[in-house]
Amino acid sequence: MTADITGNTTSNAAADGTRQVTGSGGTSVVLQNLSRSFGATRALDGLSIEMAPGELVALLGPSGCGKTTALRIVAGFETADSGSVLVDGKDISSVPAARRDMGMVFQSYSLFPNMSAQDNVGFGLRMRKVGTSVRRTKATELLEMVGLAPQAKQFPHQLSGGQQQRVALARALAIEPRVLLLDEPLSALDAKVRLQLREQIRTLQQRLGTTTLFVTHDQEEALSMADRVGVMSNGQLEQIAAPDELYDHPATAFVAEFVGVMNRLPGELQSGGTVTALDAAVPVMNQGADVGPGPVDVLVRPEGLTMAVIENGNGIVTTRTFLGSVTRVGVLLSGDVTVQIDKPSSEAAALAPGTSVHVALPTDPVLVAPRK
Amino acid sequence: MASVTRAQGVAQSTGTPSRGDARRQSILVGTAWRWVVLIVAGVYFLIPLWSALRFAGIKSFGSVISEDGFTSSLDLSVRLAVVTTVITIALMLPTTVYVHLRLPKLRRLMEGITILPIVIPPVVLIVGVLQLAPGSLKSTPYLLALIYVVLAMPFAYRAIDAGLRALDLKTIVEAAGSLGAGWINTLWRVVLPNLRTAVLSAVVLTVALVLGEYTMASLALFQTFPVWIYVNSQTSGQVSVAASLLALFVTWLFLMAITVIGTRQSRKTGGGTVTLFTVARQETRGN
Repeated sequence: MTADITGNTTSNAAADGTRQVTGSGGTSVVLQNLSRSFGATRALDGLSIEMAPGELVALLGPSGCGKTTALRIVAGFETADSGSVLVDGKDISSVPAARRDMGMVFQSYSLFPNMSAQDNVGFGLRMRKVGTSVRRTKATELLEMVGLAPQAKQFPHQLSGGQQQRVALARALAIEPRVLLLDEPLSALDAKVRLQLREQIRTLQQRLGTTTLFVTHDQEEALSMADRVGVMSNGQLEQIAAPDELYDHPATAFVAEFVGVMNRLPGELQSGGTVTALDAAVPVMNQGADVGPGPVDVLVRPEGLTMAVIENGNGIVTTRTFLGSVTRVGVLLSGDVTVQIDKPSSEAAALAPGTSVHVALPTDPVLVAPRK
Repeated sequence: MASVTRAQGVAQSTGTPSRGDARRQSILVGTAWRWVVLIVAGVYFLIPLWSALRFAGIKSFGSVISEDGFTSSLDLSVRLAVVTTVITIALMLPTTVYVHLRLPKLRRLMEGITILPIVIPPVVLIVGVLQLAPGSLKSTPYLLALIYVVLAMPFAYRAIDAGLRALDLKTIVEAAGSLGAGWINTLWRVVLPNLRTAVLSAVVLTVALVLGEYTMASLALFQTFPVWIYVNSQTSGQVSVAASLLALFVTWLFLMAITVIGTRQSRKTGGGTVTLFTVARQETRGN
């Protein structure tokens, strides 16, 4: 879990209008109850997702959760043991990859080393028997779209990693695919390039209205780009929802802890749907989950906890990390529990390590999980 | 004990300044060794060549071509080389690609199998083949081509395998597939062009092998170029030595040309220097 997800990400996403599905006339994609085993490992266990036309859905999860397998089944590189993939309502399970009209960008550099950027982009059109001049024009157009027109004649080895992935994106889009499949296309790139390309992909995708399935293990990427994010674990979908929904109302403890930073506080679950922790009783969000009354962990976001400087409080500030507009403060509570609390950086000056503070739970419902 | 202390004392007294000297000295020794090895190896290879050249004399080079049997034996050898190469590449290229893509676990087994022709002595092979081959095959020299395909297998396999290892084969094949390319287009337009140097290496090795093979051809009673050189040496030794030197020189030129052309081609598409068995992996610099 990376620690740099803050409330900002969600608000950014909302400001971009990421939740609105743009582009009409796109293709709908339905993954129906997909299962796939490799030997004794169940890579996919009954995965179902419905993608609206023009929607960008990110599959997010730790490595080995089955997200790549799902994408490869949609692409036609793997076959599902059971279940089906419907594109515009038609089952494409028996259609070979080459005839699925899906543009794919791979994690590793996948450009053909023997072809220039332009020929790479034009390759799909060549396979569709498009004439040379039309192909050239189209390839140039697409290279312009990804900002690489001057590099048209260069070979892959002359391009940087970020440029190669942009050519790969142009190549995938050149065939005007019904569905765009992105298999961790940014994970080999360095942070700055990753950020730029992330925005570029999203802008292009929205402009063209291409239904897109995007696989990543980077939560920031998923939350900032996708209309909806599906969090996967052990071959199953834990939750699929819009980024802010996922962050604010995670359906399971796994989602809560995988997306963003989560504090765990020891508490006591009461039978009446409340939990007591830090000398307070608050309502439980996930009532009826697989947790019974008794000792539990209360899950609270860093921005969910409140904190006030007070003598002989219930906690002592141990660390202070400046993250820009907010500062993340580490507080040691009794029982050797450390929590992270976000404070606006302007208020964090008083919170030097060693300061005694009082930490309190929010009054809103909280998530509980079995005690770790 | 005393000696240890003394040694330490010495080391301490000389201290830091000697460390640079020591390194320089070890580099010097290394360089000197390299030259010694190079010179010894060079002498080992060059003395026989030099002696052969002295023995043959310049004049005999002129009379090689007009020598009885030279043209026909060279013609046979070249034809065998062409047939062998075509069959070898046609068999080994798709097989090796298939193993890399679909049966990567079998690569070790393939390496084991393809080494067999080197391990089994040629005499054993040819005697077995002559025992079993039908009469109609035994009467044609192309029987040799079929055997040479087996002999060339270790070299061809290794050359193509090295080329494939330098490629991210699975990804580019899948990329081609997702763009609508069928198998033939994928192999012809994507895989093969990126294996040009590897295939070239396989071709060179196969040709060199066929042009130099003696045992089998002579036991099967066909007068290929090497057999002719030997037979001719009984009657006109000098001309035959000149012919073999000529053959050596031409083969060497051929190998050099392949290496130079291959490297140029490979640099254009981002690869490294081409040698016969390795093709340097393509690198991406920076992001």
